[in-house]
Parts: sequence; structure tokens; C-alpha cells
Amino acid sequence: MSTTAQRLPTNEEGAHTRPLISIRDLSKRYETKKGATVALDGIDLDIAEGEFVSVVGPSGCGKTTLLKILAGLEQRTAGDALLGGAPITGPRNDIGIAFQGSVMLPWRRIIENVLLPVELNEKPTPAHRERAHELLALVGLDEFADSYPNELSGGMQQRAAICRALVHDPSLLLLDEPFGALDALTREQLNVQLNSVWEQSGKTALLITHSISEAVYLSQRVVVMSPRPGRIVDVIEVPFGRKRGPEILTDPKFGEAADKIRQHFNGERKNG
Amino acid sequence: MASTTTTRVMTPSRAHGSAKSRGVASRRHLPPLAFLVVLLVAWEYVPRALGIPSFIFPPLGEVLQALTDPGATRSFLYHTQVTLIEAFSGLAIGTVLGLVLGVVLVEVDILHRMIYPYIVAIQSIPKVAIAPLFVIWFGFGLTSKVVVVALLAFFPVLLGTMSGIRSVSAEHIALFKVHRATRGQIRRKLLLPSALPSIFTGFEMAVVFSTLGAIVGEFVGAQAGLGVLILQAQYRMNTGAVFACLLILCAVGITLNVIVRLVRRRILYWVPGEKSLDV
Repeated sequence: MSTTAQRLPTNEEGAHTRPLISIRDLSKRYETKKGATVALDGIDLDIAEGEFVSVVGPSGCGKTTLLKILAGLEQRTAGDALLGGAPITGPRNDIGIAFQGSVMLPWRRIIENVLLPVELNEKPTPAHRERAHELLALVGLDEFADSYPNELSGGMQQRAAICRALVHDPSLLLLDEPFGALDALTREQLNVQLNSVWEQSGKTALLITHSISEAVYLSQRVVVMSPRPGRIVDVIEVPFGRKRGPEILTDPKFGEAADKIRQHFNGERKNG
Repeated sequence: MASTTTTRVMTPSRAHGSAKSRGVASRRHLPPLAFLVVLLVAWEYVPRALGIPSFIFPPLGEVLQALTDPGATRSFLYHTQVTLIEAFSGLAIGTVLGLVLGVVLVEVDILHRMIYPYIVAIQSIPKVAIAPLFVIWFGFGLTSKVVVVALLAFFPVLLGTMSGIRSVSAEHIALFKVHRATRGQIRRKLLLPSALPSIFTGFEMAVVFSTLGAIVGEFVGAQAGLGVLILQAQYRMNTGAVFACLLILCAVGITLNVIVRLVRRRILYWVPGEKSLDV
């Protein structure tokens, strides 16, 4: 299984691309009063530059821990996690992140929220502002640039959060169930938008999600994890190109990929 | 007054509704104003009709007379000024202390565990009971009153600051940390603005406590202030002057309340429902 995880995908021309992220034998253990909890156990995963990878798994499979380690918010217990060849030791500014909540600052206008990652490290320049406006336009929010977050719907706020994660041109986009709190219709719309934003930006993205169809729709590879201890049990290649539309939802290949993922969870339920 | 300020706070895009909202506002203010007129008329005529002696319950006319008597007006102004200076100085000191200590106690856990229980313990003593001590320590002048007010104002601001900062979500903090925000940036750009509604709620209580604290302090021992004036009037059975002082305090309280609410609406424009609160 882990050999599938390590194999790098090929890009459209068939050539191997350089891995942006290399995770080798990564483990994370939490010491609690009741003893040690193994959140992650021997994770091996390479993510190529420009690739979109999703991690699916039931609650407690350590997928959020994996994301936090990549974000530099948590330290690993053992193994290696490299970003662009350098070990991840703490937060670094070439990462963009979006959470389940939009995590807006309600006293700031949308444009100022989007510029926050820039502002925390340098004074935003007109070029930064222009980029922020471009990103907002890309998700259809440019006319709301001067609105306050409370004047926007949950889905619109979440789109703004995606813009914020991209404004400082990070090399890696981390998405922690960004659409998890939205209704199914909005979610589908946002998946279409996220795919086109990703396709146009060429960013490397890692998405944590509970939704199998969301994972298949957005990613080139889907990593399936099992809980306690958190391990990779399968990696499924999604047989679609980078640019996708809602029509692939009805493609038989879509259903096949989703079924491959689903069978892991059905099996688990039988075992325990 | 309320309706004009509403218009000013509003953004241009919403201003077109102001004429209508002014009409609505005045209609909303009509019942309490009508009731006020009834109360004032009753105050003037009921004591006279029932033959209640002036030293028990003076009619409104006598109170107004006590208030506007040329010699007395100057004295009222002077003592009001003394009380307000005490209240505002104490309020400012208490608010700053509450804010700073609130931030420190949330950020430095060991300090929180060390001193917070004692802050609560001190808080559980009625401030009126400590006031005589302050007079012994700081004398009959301004200082002892300022200390009483500061002590009263400090606690609600402290609580508001602490609970406000604590309610900031882990995701917000993670967002700032991912982008390598410094401690100062997190404090300035995230924690304090997020805590502002809660700090303001504490501050509103502190404002109420500030005049209360000043009067209590003056009752215990002072040379000037409305509290002193009330005590002196009481000794002379000059009930009209007592009521005059109460009227002044009432006016001060209402004015402060209006100011605080206006400032709140200005600062907390981003809190849902804040705009619709009527002054």
C-alpha cells in the first residue's frame, strides 16, 4: 500500500514532476494521562508541484493532525516532512490555509481580510491589492470587496477565505474541510469554483474532507486513511484532467473512483 | 437627538431611509416622553394636594427653585464638577488597569493562577466597607474617591477583557500563527478587537459604577462633591436640595449612558444588531 503512496504521479506530458512535499515515515504521538495516542503512524506521501491531493477518512484518523504538521502548527514525533526540500519546523509564509469556518475578522472589510496574510509580514503594496481584487473577481466577489463579512452569506465568506489563502502567492494551499459547514448545493458550486481557481493558479493543494465526492471531484489523487492509529490505507488516482466541470459527476469513472474509496469505509465498519 | 445621530452613523447608501426612520423614532419616543410629563405634573401637584410637608417630599417647583437659585446654582455646578472629576479619573484608571491586567492574566497563565483568586476575593468585599480605609490612607481629598471609583470600575473591565480574549476561536489563532504573526500582532490585530464587544459591556458597567463610587466615597469622607452636598442638605432637613442633587445625578447618568451607547455603536459597527440598538 505504502508503495502506491510513494509513487509520484506523472503530469499530462507523462514526465515525472518534482515533489513539493515529501512525507517519510511520519508519526505523531500524543501523551495523555490515559497513555499515548497514536494520531499518525508511518505516513509516506509525496505531493508533486501543482498537484491536488485529498485526504479522506473518518474522524480521528489524524488527517487534521497531518495538515497541522504541514502548516507548522504542530511538531511531528518521528519521521520527516519536507516542503520544497526543507524540513518543516514551524509556520512559514509560503503556505495558505482555509478552515471549516471562514475565520474572517468581522471588523475588517473583505478586501482587508483577504490581505491579512500579506499584512502580517509586510506592508501591502498596490500590487498586493490588485492581486487581492483579481482573486475576488475570480470567485465572483469583487463587488463585495468593501463589504463587511457579516453582510455576506456563509458560502461567499468561504470564497473570500480561499482568496485569503492565495493572496500571498503561497506554494502550498492547505484546505481543512473548507466547505464542511455549507449546504450541499452551495458546496457543489464552490467545488466547481475551487477547481477552476486551482487550475488557473497552478498551486499545490492538500484538501482534508469527509466528503468522498468532493475529494474525487477536486483531486488528482485521493489518500484514504484509517483511524487509531492513523495510517494511509489506499491512494486512488482520479482519471480526470485538471480542468473539470459538473458533467464529470455523472461520468461512470467518477462513480468507480468514489466506490473504490467507499469500500474502505464499509469494510472498516464490518471489522469493528 | 437620537434620530439625527442615527443619520450621521449611517452609510450614504442607507441614508435615504433616514427621514422615515426619524418619524419612526419620534413615534417610539412618544410614550416615554408622555409618561415623563405625567410624572412631572404629578410631582408638582400631588404633594401639595395631599398636604405632604416640603421636608418630606417637596413639589417639583421647590426643587427647581433650589436648583436655579443664583447663589445655589454656582455651588451645585462646583460640587457636580468635583464629583465628575473623581468619577472620570477613577473610571480612566480602573479601565486602563482592567484592560492591561486582563490581557496579562490571559497570556501569562502562572500569573493568572497566582493572583486571580485574590482579585476575586477583594472583589467580594463590598466597596462601601473598604471606603473608610481609603479615607484613612489617602485623606479627605480627591485621591481617596478616585481610588474607590477605580477599584469599582476595574473589575467589570477586567472580566470583560478576559472573557472576550478567551472567546477568540482556535482557528483564528491558528490562522495568525500560520502566517507567522508576532505575539504583538496577535494581540493588536486579533485578540483586542475580538474582545471589544465584551470589554465594552464591562466598561458600560464601570461607567455606572463610577458615579456610584464617587458618591459613596464622598459620603464616607470628603470636603466637596454632590455626596457632601446631599449629606449637608440632609442635616439641614433641606429635602429640596437633596432632590436637586438627585436630579443632577440623574441627568449626569442619562448623559453618560447616551454617550457610551453612541461610542459603542461607532466602535462596534461590525457587531450584528449593534446598529439597530436605539439610543
